Amino acid sequence: MQQTQYLYNENGIGVDFSTSKLLNNKLHLKAEILSSRLGFGNGVNALKQENFILGAQYHFLSDKNLQILAGVNTGLFLVDYESAVFNVLPNSSLMFSVEAGVHYKIPNSPVSASLTVGYNLINGNGVNIPGSLFPVFYKLGVFYPIENLFCKK
Amino acid sequence: MKNFFIILLPAIFALASCNPTPEIDNASMLDGNQIYDASLAHPFDYLVSEYKNNPTETEKNTPVIICAHGYSASTFEWDELRTVANSNQTFLVSQVLLGGHGTDYVDFKAATWKNWQQSIKNEYQKLQDKGFKKIFLAGSSTGAPLIVEMVSSGYFEQFSVKPKGIFLIDPIVVSSNKTLTLVGLLGPVLGYTTTELETGEQGKWYVYRPQESLKQLMELINLTRKNLEKGIVLPAGTAMKIYKSKVDATADPVSAVMLYKGLKTNDGKNVDIEMIDSDIHVFTRLNGRNSVSAKDIKNQQDVFADMGSRMKN
Repeated sequence: MQQTQYLYNENGIGVDFSTSKLLNNKLHLKAEILSSRLGFGNGVNALKQENFILGAQYHFLSDKNLQILAGVNTGLFLVDYESAVFNVLPNSSLMFSVEAGVHYKIPNSPVSASLTVGYNLINGNGVNIPGSLFPVFYKLGVFYPIENLFCKK
Repeated sequence: MKNFFIILLPAIFALASCNPTPEIDNASMLDGNQIYDASLAHPFDYLVSEYKNNPTETEKNTPVIICAHGYSASTFEWDELRTVANSNQTFLVSQVLLGGHGTDYVDFKAATWKNWQQSIKNEYQKLQDKGFKKIFLAGSSTGAPLIVEMVSSGYFEQFSVKPKGIFLIDPIVVSSNKTLTLVGLLGPVLGYTTTELETGEQGKWYVYRPQESLKQLMELINLTRKNLEKGIVLPAGTAMKIYKSKVDATADPVSAVMLYKGLKTNDGKNVDIEMIDSDIHVFTRLNGRNSVSAKDIKNQQDVFADMGSRMKN
């Protein structure tokens, strides 16, 4: 769940991958798709836009329940203006952002959550980047291990 | 860890408590106490409610367009339309000076966006009271969300005469400079921002933008965006046209998309829109710019002609 400062709520789904071979579970690789179409509280006329994100995060205190994380993301931003008159405007952009926050593993539960704040270093400028790509975002992620879904213990 | 807080806390306090004020050159800056917007000394040259105090029946049926300028600007922004109106004699131009503008830095710093808007409301009320029947509104840059807010808040419902039409020139709903979204965090530290003016713009725009007024701007455009997301319906009989430069380093062109999606005429139709092949913010104001191309002049003339034509019909 992502809330952009002074803009939309954009929600979606993703995967977060870590293994003992990646710095002993300290390095996490992730992929996310977030869309304003899935956002809560956006008005009916909100722009329809998607964020396709790949990222890497480093988890400090990875053996603890409460971890501190910091990472970088890249990806693709797409927006649909829904009218041909706006074909003259940019509707896609490369994304690059930095993100930091905390990750909490709920004791005696497979579920964990993260709360982060991020900054899009590439954002709309009125010239060649879509104007609805805003800089500051806050993100809440809820995680459930895939092996718990597909593997019998 | 203790040392860390000993260093950090005074730094935070220092940042939070500083709110610098600019050095103002009174002789050359609108921000000072010597240069004022010309409409303050000569309202009869700028406001139709002043120079047509007792309108004839013919004048009451002549289109009047209330023109609202942008943030930190002045009535200068609409001088060229008044020149056109004086030349073709088919409509009258009422150039309002937004509240908190055209005087000095102190006034600008203290004014809210509702103060800015009040000047437009005052002129509309006066024109209505004097019996003008064909009132139009035009807003450039921040003048646009001020007018749109008058629609969304139902301001015109109290009047028997609704606006015949609304023109938005390079309206701002989203700033191109996205650091404006950080004004709440950085504003108290910076105190103000500085604008580079071209030679012909000196004394016509404020040079310094106090963080208090930048917050007001952010509040206004964020409110406008939210209202557009929910949908805004124009009063019955009110038409609208949006003109937007396709490249604009001040008012992000995505503003036009949000306005187009969020505004509907009273019978449920889309408003008119035209994306202009220009990279100038408020492309209808060419006076005072260092460089103006033939294309810029044509854009201005075409749009003024289109506005004039729409006011005739």
